[in-house]
Amino acid sequence: LNVSTYLHGIYPRSEAVVAATRDLDRGRTTPEAVDHLYDQDLKELVQAQEEAGVDFFTDGLLRWQDLFRPILEACPGLKPGALVRWFDNNTFYRQPEVNGKLTLGTPTLEILDSGAVPQPRVATLPSPYLFSRVALAKSDPNDVMQDFAAGVLKPLARQLASDGYGLIQLQEPWVASHGIEDDDWKPFAESVGVVTDGLEATTVLHTYYGDASPWADRLRELPVDAVGFDFIHTDLDALGTEWPTGILVGCLDGRNSLIEPADHVIDFVKRAADRLEPSAIYLSVSSDLELLPQATARQKVLAMGEAGRQLKETL
Amino acid sequence: MMKALLTHEMGSLAKPGWRVKAYAGQPLGQADLEEARTWGERLSVPGHEELVDLLGRGPFDAGQKQEIRQWSSRYGVRFCESAGLDAVYDGEQQRSEMYAWAIAHAGGFDFRGTVRSWDNKYYSKAAVTGPISLEVPYHSEEFAYLRSVATAELKIPITGAYTLAAWSFDEYYDTDTSLAGLAAERKARRADARRRFTLDIATRLIRPNVEDLIRLGGQWIQIDEPGGSTEPDELELFVDSFNASVEGLDGTFSTHLCFSDYELFFPAIERMTGCKQFAVGFANYDTRELGTKKEDRPGYGIIDKFRDLPYRPALGLGVLDIHSDFIEPPELVRDRVLYAIEVFGDADRIHVTPDCGLRTRSWEVAYAKLVNMVEGVEMARKALGL
Repeated sequence: LNVSTYLHGIYPRSEAVVAATRDLDRGRTTPEAVDHLYDQDLKELVQAQEEAGVDFFTDGLLRWQDLFRPILEACPGLKPGALVRWFDNNTFYRQPEVNGKLTLGTPTLEILDSGAVPQPRVATLPSPYLFSRVALAKSDPNDVMQDFAAGVLKPLARQLASDGYGLIQLQEPWVASHGIEDDDWKPFAESVGVVTDGLEATTVLHTYYGDASPWADRLRELPVDAVGFDFIHTDLDALGTEWPTGILVGCLDGRNSLIEPADHVIDFVKRAADRLEPSAIYLSVSSDLELLPQATARQKVLAMGEAGRQLKETL
Repeated sequence: MMKALLTHEMGSLAKPGWRVKAYAGQPLGQADLEEARTWGERLSVPGHEELVDLLGRGPFDAGQKQEIRQWSSRYGVRFCESAGLDAVYDGEQQRSEMYAWAIAHAGGFDFRGTVRSWDNKYYSKAAVTGPISLEVPYHSEEFAYLRSVATAELKIPITGAYTLAAWSFDEYYDTDTSLAGLAAERKARRADARRRFTLDIATRLIRPNVEDLIRLGGQWIQIDEPGGSTEPDELELFVDSFNASVEGLDGTFSTHLCFSDYELFFPAIERMTGCKQFAVGFANYDTRELGTKKEDRPGYGIIDKFRDLPYRPALGLGVLDIHSDFIEPPELVRDRVLYAIEVFGDADRIHVTPDCGLRTRSWEVAYAKLVNMVEGVEMARKALGL
């Protein structure tokens, strides 16, 4: 069984970048000085990933203010709106407001800090269903979902795949946290298919911040290479067996400062492999690490890497 | 407190550059002294020349830093009084930050590092690592000083138990990181740990602080709970923690909620009968167009639920978006207030406030917003013949 490890989502900034961005907002430093510190953060994140032995590298979306912002800035038909709580967390995002056609603007979008990141790379993007549910729009949410998938995610994913991103992950916390109606599954699956069809990259749809097991039968049918679960909230035994896809095992808690011992992680992943019989295992964190301080997040990355190393030898 | 259309601030203001630099041991420039002089004159801060003189004599010893911190408080109080607010505080000038100040004065916590709140705004987040304790009440010295300098009514903001728990990591009450057992069992274990953690904060930190403030003459204490609805299935715990913090005490208690799905608070807060006012941020969700009809005020759609609470608390109506430099015109404030009065049918139960603390805005912007808020309230009074 092939086991891969990688980090997804937004990674926390260092204290130095936090202070510098605050100073920049108050006119006390220069954009160049802040850029230099971002570069340092990225270098340290790459080092942590190399030390952990990950199979796909991320830039940690260090410059992203939230999961949607760079996309809003790149799409003329979108703008950032009110601050809204990010699920059950003490962090907030700007609600995307749809005020025009959902297409990528020109010049070509540069939303990921690719230069210093080794290949193969992982990119993290919002799932079309998530986007449609958080967006403020006058049209039907499912129309927003399909337009966003076709007009924004599809060209973006293709661009990323051609830029060395071997794995593209769609973040889908809405399904696990708030659920999904039966009638919405078909347009959701179609929207995912629009993004993944013919894409020359591995695709993962990751559910988190809740228990996604009530939708396991539907999730396994999605046109992706792997489905991710937040096992802090999801029962392994509720997911059935003989998964036709890979499974992202999110078993290192992205919101808990306690570091999981490697043996806890290894035991769980072995159980997941035995029970679900997936085509591949992707070991990762349950959710973005941005809700942890950077020093704690780094420890999580290394713990993930250590468990992954041992699993690769035994599975 | 129950005056119709009473106006008040919501807690924090930015700290002046001279206060920040002096406290951090950084050299002050002429611009810092000028800032202290200009605002001192503008706000009519009694004796502000003494501050300007003091600021010119850095570096400062511990006693001078304390003096500068108190000057900052004095400016904060005058800032609110001069803007015309009915109830004031000092913009939390003596505190580091609403979470860090409380945790730094409590036993049983260790800071772990900074975590994002939104955009480039971060806070220092701690973990509970041992039994929670309070050595000395941490708002009493500040309140005693403010009583000596304020002329308007004081409303004391104090960070609530639920928010302190929700904003902390738990490395003491639930330490099991294994994924053994059912998810439902793990969830129940986490919920039990969170309940014990939150109620320990309420009884061991918040209540002793509140008791001491009352002993010192504090009358109106606002329990700040911006994290109140963080976990949708913990609203009963939020209410229990408020009640455990203030029940049976002889004071006037209110709470502040912001940037949340306010629907989640119902029906749980029907049990929060000791809460005399809910100060709630709405402007962030509203349009900037004028109008007093329901369709003109989409950000205020839920206020009828607060109206219908059986114990008839006042609603602190958030009318200023604290995340924007947009200066709400008085007419916009007026229309938001008139709409709320129309829904409530009772101006006595409407108070008027910013959505939240204004610390992310410059003093210039914050002051202009507050002045317009007060003017907008006056316009509403006139429109209603109050």
